[in-house]
Amino acid sequence: MAETLPSPPPGPAGAWAEFRGIVRAQENDQTISALEYEAYPAMAEREIRRLLEEIAVRHPCLATTVIHRIGIVPVGETAVYVGVAAKHRGAAFALLAEFMDRLKQDVPIWKRRSLPAAPTAIPLPVNSLRVPPAGQPMAIPVSLAEAMAEIYERSKPLPPMPVSLEEACGRILRQPVCAPEDMPSCDRSTRDGYAILQNDAQNEFRIVDVVHAADWKPRQLQSGEAARVATGAALPCGGLCVVMQENVERKGDAIKILRRETVLNLRRRGEEAKAGEPLLQTGMRLDPGKLALLASAGCAQPLVSPRLRVLHFTTGDEIIPPGKIPQPGQVRDSNSILIRSLLQKFSGTVESAHLPEDFEKAKAEISNFKFQISNADVVLVSGGASVGEKDFTRSLLAWLRFEIVFSQVNIRPGKPLIFGTNGNRVAFGLPGNPLSHFVCFHFAVATALAKLTGESAPKFLRGRLSAPFVDAACARETLWPAQLGPAGLRPLPWASAGDVTSFATANALLRIPARCDSLESGTEVDFLPAGDMLDA
Amino acid sequence: MRVLFFAQLKDVTGCDSMELTINEPLNSDQLWVALLVKFPALAKHRASVRLACNSEYAGPQTQFNQADEAALIPPVSGG
Repeated sequence: MAETLPSPPPGPAGAWAEFRGIVRAQENDQTISALEYEAYPAMAEREIRRLLEEIAVRHPCLATTVIHRIGIVPVGETAVYVGVAAKHRGAAFALLAEFMDRLKQDVPIWKRRSLPAAPTAIPLPVNSLRVPPAGQPMAIPVSLAEAMAEIYERSKPLPPMPVSLEEACGRILRQPVCAPEDMPSCDRSTRDGYAILQNDAQNEFRIVDVVHAADWKPRQLQSGEAARVATGAALPCGGLCVVMQENVERKGDAIKILRRETVLNLRRRGEEAKAGEPLLQTGMRLDPGKLALLASAGCAQPLVSPRLRVLHFTTGDEIIPPGKIPQPGQVRDSNSILIRSLLQKFSGTVESAHLPEDFEKAKAEISNFKFQISNADVVLVSGGASVGEKDFTRSLLAWLRFEIVFSQVNIRPGKPLIFGTNGNRVAFGLPGNPLSHFVCFHFAVATALAKLTGESAPKFLRGRLSAPFVDAACARETLWPAQLGPAGLRPLPWASAGDVTSFATANALLRIPARCDSLESGTEVDFLPAGDMLDA
Repeated sequence: MRVLFFAQLKDVTGCDSMELTINEPLNSDQLWVALLVKFPALAKHRASVRLACNSEYAGPQTQFNQADEAALIPPVSGG
């Protein structure tokens, strides 16, 4: 809620008293990172107006500005701003003090909750094991839409934390950011030249001041007076224009205008944003341009999502490192680098380990692992291609105290996808084939990561096929690798879920309905951006 | 009549607003009675909660009509 009353008139005000209420780092003996405010906006605005009018009867003033932020306000930032213009300081101070007292009694604004200073450790819920024992029939497979909705619903956003601007690049902003003051804060020249009154019909002017870029020299220019100004300099008062130096003839401390332009050659106060105007919204990914805007708005410690901590286990005795030569029956591990590079966009840290297929040995390996499982926000288990991989992954996730939400999705490829939660942590058991990995990451893992980091969930877009789609009809909905180019979506050939070549050049996944065996070129289809299109 | 709940009262009622049908104008006490029927848990907040009618605090004379917007204002904590 932002209530902006007229700015103080330049005339009779002899006092301009300001108050800023700042969010403190301590609230009810707890160290916090931010407060969240809630308001009844219509009534708050009305009450503020009513209180000001009531108090101004006793302490006459000329103008006031009141801004109260709602939503998340980080520690150290202004939650409430009040400016009062009066003839004399006594009235301004008195009105300000009484208004703040009354605001805290009557204006319907509430501190809804405080956000803790650092993410707190998540205790393991011991009694949440509801995994059916091995050998029991699997739950009915969920549909693609159900799976995505379930994952989004059950994943919880990580508590935001304040970080420096350098640290914030690539992370998700978790607070709205408003202009702290008019931007720019005063009229500024865009030329080296001479500032004069806009409608001054004189032709010759006397130079009464020189204003460099860093100067602040307020004065009311009169007709026939000019101020020498540099590009970027704050103009001495409102209502001015700047005549470029190329268009004047200077003689000593006087100038003569040779040519007048219709443009004013200035950036007006507040033309980029007025005080209190929203600049950036919660959920935006901070890129270089947005970081520059945060810096210019004075938001040096934005509240962002913490870096995701991902733990990735590969399994399967047939897997060997990419640098080794495979014996018959062995395959090089392509999933580790796939996961690691797909996670880069989500600015997380990835710890990986390979687990032996023997469950007891795998448990011993995890127990010896230097990385604390309880420190991971996301646990990914890449299955091998061997028989019983799913039971292995299920048992492993159950042993790690994850509650399995679903263990089959009616989708091709990627049907044996497992999703589980443990408190605020999520886990996926990814079917081992590389194309399944690619597909499951984009529709499932990316959905959870988006929710954890406070971003909006991946969404299907509409596009047109630039080539026909032909396949044997499948009873399951299919996510088919494709390449999105200027002409549209071109389906890529793939033969099996183990096919790595099929998605090497894919940047989209087509959503092919169940039992569909062909689509003509030009047909409109749903697709999910993938691979390097994730950033687009 | 639309009734709005704010801050901790949202947690008490589990919603941020409700529709209340009234057949005749109610004063504050009568409105409380109607609300407590729907949400008995509001009882212990009654002493500290002020009623508002169309964005103004209600007084002893205030009458709530079907077309009004009522609001329950728990102790405020702005600033």
